[in-house]
Amino acid sequence: MNFDRPLTRRESIRKLFRWSGYVTLAGATQWPLFTLPDAWATEAKKGFIIEGRGQTDGFSVKDLTRKVFEAAGGIKRFVSRGDVVVIKPNISWARHPRFAATTHPEVLSAVIELCQEAGAKRVRIADNTIHDARRCFAITGAGKVAKETGADLIYPRSSLMRNMKLRGNRLDVWPVFIPLVEADKVINLPVAKHHSLSTLTLGMKNWIGAVDGSRWSLHQDINQSIVDLAQFFQPAVTLIDAIRIMTKNGPSGGSTDYVAIKNTLILSDDPVAADARASMLFGLKPERIGFIHLAQKGGLGTYDFSKLENKRVVM
Amino acid sequence: MKIRHLVWLRRIIQTFFLCLFLFFLVESRLSQDIYVDYSIAFSTEDDIRLDQPVTFFFQLDPLIGLTSLLSGHRLIPGFLWGFGVLLITLFLGRVFCGFICPFGTIHHAIGSIRPALKGDRMIRANQKTPGQRIKYFLLVFLLIGAIIGLNLSGLMDPIALFFRSMALSIFPGLGAGLRSVFDAMANSDFKVLKLISYGAEVLFSPVFGYNVQAYQTAWFIGLLFLIILFLNRIRPRFWCRILCPLGALLGIFSRVSPLKLEKYPDRCTNCNLCTKHCQGAASPHPDQIWEAAECLTCFNCHNICPEEALAFFFSRKPKLNRKPDIGRRALLGGILAGLSIPLLGRLDGRMDKVADPRLIRPPGSLPEKGFLELCQRCGLCMKVCPSNALNPTLGEAGMAGFWTPRLIMTQGYCEYTCSLCGSVCPTGAIANITTKEKIERPIKIGSAYVDRGRCLPWSGNVPCIVCEELCPTSPKAIYLKKETVSGPGGKKLAVQLPFVDLKQCVGCGICENKCPVKGLPAIRTICAGESRSLKNQILL
Repeated sequence: MNFDRPLTRRESIRKLFRWSGYVTLAGATQWPLFTLPDAWATEAKKGFIIEGRGQTDGFSVKDLTRKVFEAAGGIKRFVSRGDVVVIKPNISWARHPRFAATTHPEVLSAVIELCQEAGAKRVRIADNTIHDARRCFAITGAGKVAKETGADLIYPRSSLMRNMKLRGNRLDVWPVFIPLVEADKVINLPVAKHHSLSTLTLGMKNWIGAVDGSRWSLHQDINQSIVDLAQFFQPAVTLIDAIRIMTKNGPSGGSTDYVAIKNTLILSDDPVAADARASMLFGLKPERIGFIHLAQKGGLGTYDFSKLENKRVVM
Repeated sequence: MKIRHLVWLRRIIQTFFLCLFLFFLVESRLSQDIYVDYSIAFSTEDDIRLDQPVTFFFQLDPLIGLTSLLSGHRLIPGFLWGFGVLLITLFLGRVFCGFICPFGTIHHAIGSIRPALKGDRMIRANQKTPGQRIKYFLLVFLLIGAIIGLNLSGLMDPIALFFRSMALSIFPGLGAGLRSVFDAMANSDFKVLKLISYGAEVLFSPVFGYNVQAYQTAWFIGLLFLIILFLNRIRPRFWCRILCPLGALLGIFSRVSPLKLEKYPDRCTNCNLCTKHCQGAASPHPDQIWEAAECLTCFNCHNICPEEALAFFFSRKPKLNRKPDIGRRALLGGILAGLSIPLLGRLDGRMDKVADPRLIRPPGSLPEKGFLELCQRCGLCMKVCPSNALNPTLGEAGMAGFWTPRLIMTQGYCEYTCSLCGSVCPTGAIANITTKEKIERPIKIGSAYVDRGRCLPWSGNVPCIVCEELCPTSPKAIYLKKETVSGPGGKKLAVQLPFVDLKQCVGCGICENKCPVKGLPAIRTICAGESRSLKNQILL
């Protein structure tokens, strides 16, 4: 292009039209790609459930996480090069990790590192916490993990909450924490613990920490609310942290007396199966837990493990 | 050093201290995520504390130190700074007012950048008036009141007033305005606007925070602040000359200062430039007698005088300056007010007889009497409270406790593992407790009770356990009982009914804060059961 010569008005208008024409044309050729029916791509695939357990003393949580993902075919199966991955841990309470109220920082950092190795462009940690987010980040160790791994911590704030249609049975329009929607891949990373209303809080219930608004009224129909949220947020994979589980006084906890050490990680692409398997660690039957039962009925997944590919990893 | 350099030095020092004040003001909050050093809290379980010495200006203020000593019989941490300021005043006069005080700098800037009065009117406005005795009246009143046991100095102390106005009113106002703009941009359909708003948020959140901070009755604080600023249009530095009790205190100390304004009346051409530029109405004109107690040592008169008829000198001869014009009436009135108002302040019985149930003091607060003896109402605890629960009182603590902190649980709640407010309190009205102490003793700030008529399961509406879920104590102070109640239309409804275990409850108020029954929550917190009071107890 010749920059020395002044551009006449006519020329500039012509140029403007030409370039906008190019852009429109480029957009128009892309358009059909977005509207392809989903059914084309998906093909009936068998889900999997993997339970990893550390049995030796002083086993490394990091290695266990790695092995569990390897058993599922490697992290590359879920995360592609250049993806923006958002991890949804449960770091709602400003509690030290030993109380098992929040996702263990070692699991969190292991998953982040795996995503980075798979070539993720950005890894983000997002949770709409209950306690003050700065204090949650600091005390649960999530902040330290973010600093060490270079992942982004997303501070929940009003400008990141947007009303969206959930298309649930009970929940229609609800403010949603948008980093979880705008991500290329979402990894659900809950901790397994007791809950006084829904019996347990596991993977599917973790999505209550992904919405805003009057979320305390969700408890009035907790099971349906959990299922409605779980069908809206469909993660690439769910990894339940059951290294330590809280068996009583949940979900906030605050005493190590009720913390049981299980040294277990559960990985599944089926949110219902993951929750079902985790509930068995508490000695409960999955079909007796309201939201797991309801989610199977709603077709979100299954707790019939024979329909899935089962694997065990022991360290 | 030439006098012109000295004036510029003053301006630079003033700007520096104003910026330092604003910096500490901004830093009076938990750091935002990008700056927190997470490893501290995580590895050693130390409490999260602020990085900056945000109480520095309160330590520098001798009035705060003096009134705390007189009423609370306590030397505040860092009181030596204030002592140092008094010592400097003995040698240099009111340099604190002219060089350091950030509130004075604001007035100075407003008055000199765009003077409201011109020519003769300015000269007349800068003549000393009897009104300047009001500040001595206020000082005497505050000091006598402090001795009697009611410490109101924070209402008028320039540092406390400036901090309170900025932290509770001006800053949150700016923040809320900016945030609403960014939220509107983020929710728009244009990608460019969204990106700009995210970018702008990153820049402004470290200063204003990620959440909108709001303080009840802050409009009133802000209005008073604006009125005080507006007074500069009547006289330059109206506040410093007429109202400031700290200025009065320093004025009295400047009596012996050897830094004196020497006058050479034979050189004077009566141009009145000195009076026109005088900040303190201290009679700099060579025909008048210089008022050392009113002089803010801004050096304007020395600098502006074209005939060199005025000059500041250190005098070798030990000679007292002119007596501060306190006035017998101001002195007497101050003594009377100081004696009577603390007693009047108890007439509403808040201190001795009844405690307003809504008066929930921050964790670690001293018993009410000791609290009012020390609290400077500066708003620092309210500024740092991460959940925005701490708010200034209006009438809940009675007249004596105006603008002291209390928790409003519908706005925030006391976070169980947080003890930040006590760590920043400049006078120790809120004791500096650790989180460990707070949990293990435990320090209760009140107790919760269920309003069964409003509670969703109790009233037979829907199941709900939110208060129990959020209760932070272990074991939980709210426990549930399975029950079938009669729901709408007489249908049986299986619910879990919440009960409060008063022995466990610490009154943190998270249950009230998150209760889905909005407006007047179905579970509420009152101050009864607070561990600082022996009397205000429910259980044996």
